[in-house]
This record gives sequence, C-alpha cells and structure tokens, in this order.
Amino acid sequence: MPVEMHRDWIPVALSADLPAATVVPAHTPSGILALWRSASGKLTALADRCPHRGMRLSYGFVRGEALSCIYHGWSYGRNGQCQRIPAHPDLAPPAAIKAANYAAEERNGVIWIAQEEPETPPPALEGFKPLRSITVGADAELIAGSRDVRMRLAGIDALLLIVGTGGSETVAHVMVDAAASEVECVAASRAAEGWRRDCERLGRKDLAS
Amino acid sequence: MTMDRQPMIDQWYPVALASQLPAGGRATQLMGTPITVLPGEPIRVVTADGRDLRITVRYGHVWTSLGDPAKELFDIPEADQPGRRLVEVGVVRVRCSPLRAVENFLDIAHFPFVHTDILGAEPHTEVGKYDVEIREQEDEVWATKVQFYQPQAAKSATGGITTDYMYRVPAPTSTVLYKTCPARPGEWDVITLFVQPLTEELCDVWPWMALFDDETALTDLIHFQQMIFLQDRSILENQIPRLLPLDPGREIPTRADLTSVAYRRWLKRHQFTYGAQLVAQ
Repeated sequence: MPVEMHRDWIPVALSADLPAATVVPAHTPSGILALWRSASGKLTALADRCPHRGMRLSYGFVRGEALSCIYHGWSYGRNGQCQRIPAHPDLAPPAAIKAANYAAEERNGVIWIAQEEPETPPPALEGFKPLRSITVGADAELIAGSRDVRMRLAGIDALLLIVGTGGSETVAHVMVDAAASEVECVAASRAAEGWRRDCERLGRKDLAS
Repeated sequence: MTMDRQPMIDQWYPVALASQLPAGGRATQLMGTPITVLPGEPIRVVTADGRDLRITVRYGHVWTSLGDPAKELFDIPEADQPGRRLVEVGVVRVRCSPLRAVENFLDIAHFPFVHTDILGAEPHTEVGKYDVEIREQEDEVWATKVQFYQPQAAKSATGGITTDYMYRVPAPTSTVLYKTCPARPGEWDVITLFVQPLTEELCDVWPWMALFDDETALTDLIHFQQMIFLQDRSILENQIPRLLPLDPGREIPTRADLTSVAYRRWLKRHQFTYGAQLVAQ
C-alpha cells in the first residue's frame, strides 16, 4: 500500500510513547505505517505489510536493530530489507523481499514521517512541549478542516497537531506551553478530554443533520 | 467476481453442529445467501425464498450447498475407526477470507511465533523439506513427510517431541490434518478445519477432531483447540488484503510454503475464487 503524504512531514507519535525495542501503528491520512524504535534507539517507519503473507508489521516485535513479523518471524532491517527467515535459517533472503521505508525524524519530542526525505527538517514548535496524543471519533475535516489547532486548554496555551486517518477517526498530538507546570499539564490533559467529547458530539450532530 | 457461475457454489459447506441445533433453527448465511438450518427428521436447510437445499450430515456437522454438488462429501475413513473420540469443538467467527483460514491451517512455519511454547518454540524454527502433490485421481492437495519440533503437540503430550504431519485439502474450504498421536504411536490423530464462507471476507470456522485420547476431559480438548485457533484469528484478521491473492507477485513464498503454493494453484485451476483476489492491486 503506497502511502502518499499530503504535506511534507506528518506528525505520527510523541517520542515518549515509543520506547526502545517497540513498534506501534502510525496513523497517516493515507494509511498505517509500522513505526519502530530499535534497541539502540534508532527510529524507522516501514510499510505496514509483510511481503510474505501480508501480515501487519505493526503487530510485530523488535529485537536488537530489526523488526520481526509476528506471523513467521521474518525480520527486517532499518532499510526495510528482509534479513532473516526463521523457517530457513541458512538462507540469505533475496533482495526482492523488502518493505518500503519512509523518512522518520523526531524533533522536540514529536515523531514525524515523510514519504521522501524533505529538504527541510520537521518544525521545531519552539515554546511548546509534548503532552499527549488522543484519538477522536470524528472526521478531521469536521474538527479543524484538517488544520492544526491553536487553542487554550484549562487556560494553558496549546497547539494540537491534527492528523485525519482517512476514516471517521482523527489523531491529535497535543502540545502545551513549554513553561507549563506539572499541575497545569494535568489540567490541560483533562481539558483535552473535554475537547475530544465536544468534537465527537459535533460529529454526531453532523451525522444526524 | 464475474457473472459466470462460481464453481464453489456446487461444493458442500458446514453450516451447523447437528447435535446443537436450536429448536427455532439456526439462521446463518452461505456465500452471502441467508439460510436457516431447521432441526427435525430430516434436518432441513432452507433459503429466504423457500428453497430447500441439499443436505448431508457427517462428522458431527450439517453440510449443505447452494448448488448441485457432483460428488458426495469427501470421505475421512478415520472418522469410523473404533476407539476414536469425536470432538465437536464449536464455531469461531473470523473476519477473513475463508481461503485464508484454510491456508493458515496448512502452515507450520508460524508455530513458534503464533503458538509460542505450544506448537512451536524458538530456536526450533526450521522447516525441513517435505512432499507436496495434487493427487489427480482424488483431486486433492496433499502434503506428506512434514516434521516439526513441538513443545506441547497435543493436550495429551507431556513434553517436547518431533511431530509428523500430513495435510490434506479435499474441498476448497475444508482441510484435514493427520498428526503423530502421542497416546498411540503408529496411528494418526485427525484434526480438521471445516470453514463456512459467510461472505468473501467473513467466515465461521468449525474445527472437529477424531482422536485417540481417553484421558483428557472433553472440555480441556475443546479449550486447547479453541485457544490455538484464537491465536490464529489474531493473525487472520490482520492480513492485507483480506482476500487471498492467487496471482504470483503479491506475496512472496519460500520452500516452507509449498503446501500453500499448491493450494493456491489448485484453487486457481478449478476457479475456486470466492474469497480470492485475482488481479494484484
């Protein structure tokens, strides 16, 4: 599944939500990618489909510097090349067995991906720090016209990075004022929940009309 | 699907356990057509427009067809062998192509990763050479001389053993597995997967077993098989595409996948394409 990007860099996760040696599904407007961090901390985004039998690689597991498919354990390196087929331990996997890879970078606690390495790095979002990602059961167009949202959450200056998932769900990566205290962050997090409910109510109203 | 008559219409499919038909009948569907399985003597299967479908009752299940099967239901001679316990496992609904459910059942290389520490375990991941053929006379896919190391091959197994397997596909959505019988060396335990295609992307799976095992409680046998199949379901519902690709190129097999390769070839040869993807997308 070729994933087309509608803007240079797509925010897909917060750094804190992807510890070393884990993989998560990264939602983009045109599909899901397998986003993983190696044991040594290196970030990789691969097409979410094992070329062998089509299993989602985001259900896999990370060992060392490779991502393995949960179905038959085929493992892939950071360039997407298959490195090992456990059913045939002595076989060097043919070069054709490869999962497409995408540019992945993190900046200021946010992980961004792009189809091709853009000329400019992802935005720094200076003055903000990452708070949390939330999934909203409403269409991104409806929420914000698919644009990022600048708002106040419990009185704290906030920036919501909005990513529609192509369906009826939207992911919002919530950034708050870098100077916000721990107590203010908790309040902003609760306010973000309220914002989510408002969006979902709005979505339902839209469906009903 | 094309407008041509799909040859899978004329095959037999399981639609209920004969022993567990509710008084009001079982409302279900077969290849997109709503049907009702009615208890009684004889059991009947009727469509919404009142058509009575052909039926046969075997291996604990009610089998029917939307069309006109040219052959009787395939034979499993072991089903009538004295001393075997016949185990009706029940039904598991899976959001996948019925053909993918069968193909997964034919696969051994996933044991260490999906059925970890039960049907397989690292580092025992290697799949040795085995024989695969399409038997022309019976018109069935067979894999023989399959061997795999298993930590707990069956509910009755007490430790790791190298298990011998044979696989057989006698109908597009039914498959029979013969495996080493821990309780009675020299005999084969029989484990089947009978798949009811509800739609091209949704199926009800009816595992059934004919075992030499007088020790294990029936509940434990059923739980063991259900646990195994639920592990498979987490795979089957996350394969892309949902349909089974029959054209080469979309998915890359290796030597361990020769049974799957033969199964796909056999499906294509017979145009058994309900639940298949023909043009790579």
